[in-house]
Amino acid sequence: MTWTDEELVARSIGGDSESFNELVLRWERPIYALAYRTIGREEDARDVCQETFLRAFRALPGFRGQAKFSSWLYRIALNLCRDWIRRERRAPIVQPPEDVDVMELAAASEPSESIEDLVARKDLSRAVERAMALLPDEQRTAIVLKEYHGLTFQEIAELLGCPLSTVKTRLYQGLTVLRRELAKGEQQRAKKATL
Amino acid sequence: MTESLCTYSGNRDEALVTFLYDDAWSGSERTSFGAHLATCAACREELDGMRGVRAELGRWNPPEPNFAITFSNTPPGHSAINQQSATGNQHWWRSVPAWAQVAAALLVLGVSAGIANLDVRYDSQGLSIRTGWSQPRSAAAPPAASGVNVAASSTGAKAPWKADLDALQQQLTAEMRTRTAAASAQSTAVRPADADLVRRVRALIDESEKRQQRELALRVAEVLRDVNVQRQADLAKVNRALGAVENNLGVEVLKTRQQVNLMYRASQVVR
Repeated sequence: MTWTDEELVARSIGGDSESFNELVLRWERPIYALAYRTIGREEDARDVCQETFLRAFRALPGFRGQAKFSSWLYRIALNLCRDWIRRERRAPIVQPPEDVDVMELAAASEPSESIEDLVARKDLSRAVERAMALLPDEQRTAIVLKEYHGLTFQEIAELLGCPLSTVKTRLYQGLTVLRRELAKGEQQRAKKATL
Repeated sequence: MTESLCTYSGNRDEALVTFLYDDAWSGSERTSFGAHLATCAACREELDGMRGVRAELGRWNPPEPNFAITFSNTPPGHSAINQQSATGNQHWWRSVPAWAQVAAALLVLGVSAGIANLDVRYDSQGLSIRTGWSQPRSAAAPPAASGVNVAASSTGAKAPWKADLDALQQQLTAEMRTRTAAASAQSTAVRPADADLVRRVRALIDESEKRQQRELALRVAEVLRDVNVQRQADLAKVNRALGAVENNLGVEVLKTRQQVNLMYRASQVVR
């Protein structure tokens, strides 16, 4: 039987730690992905993810279900990401592109995908990552929540504590910058390819 | 070349984003903006561009996290979080109740007794237990041929089952010892895995220590910078205060001098 988040939360509050483990299993990837896409560092994203669940575990008795459990978790994670960015006092850092490791690529490749395709895919992924890192925090967060977590404008507005129209404006501005930066990157790649 | 200008009356940027995600959108607004799109090349072009961006965003995947977090009810002051390798998820058996573990152990014991060709017989000669593959399973074989053979006279003062039970107990004890020895041999074989685990834990601890040291260095640098800024601010404040005191003093000196001059002049007039 599959329990809902709310049921698992109620069981966890009742002292069933396995239920909380189930919630962790259910949400650790989305939270990690949110943290990674917000702060751009794998190791720190892992720490943020772990800290998010630790705080949620401690604060669980106080959770009264005013919001969805996932929204509550997202809020904790976003606050931790914000703290991290403030602490670092600089724009999120995208991990520097490392030299292409053929063995790693081969291990990650689909059977039908050639190494060249995979390199191109990874390049594109890095280009997106770099372009995202150029965005101001609030625009990047809005895009991450909308694109990768499928939240509604209303949910994002509640989570970030801003009006609905602000969320839309941030998304528009962010997407416009991304479009420009990705086009620039595309041109550079094309130029390299012709050399 | 003619460049079309957008004539949408509402907030175009918000309308574009809302149309793009098809969210928080009333039916009439959607129809209205849809009609506008049909006539506005600029909006169509921008919408296509944003769809392209969305397609590219879909290709950005974070690296796979290689951890699994588990929680347990621990007393306050202890960490309730355990971080484990996703591949080595070994905590499941801890949740099995003790009685189930005992039952499983007994089952294993019974199965292994079967595998070991344990032959238990109770006939007119008493209880006979025989183990080992070396002996043929023949009814005619003498009971004391191998293994443990215990016979109790049915004519003795004690009941025959008493001696039989004792013998069974001894036999089971011997069997359990053998099993324990086998288990310890097995655990010795598992040690490389333990060593690997210990190595991984050490690596995690090292990593954590390095992170803490980095954090500490950062904090110390921050504190030093804050102290420096505060010191400069204090110095500036002290300078300002001293300047004010000097000014006040100067004014007082001037007043005093003027009074002295006035008194001097007055004394001249009196003379």
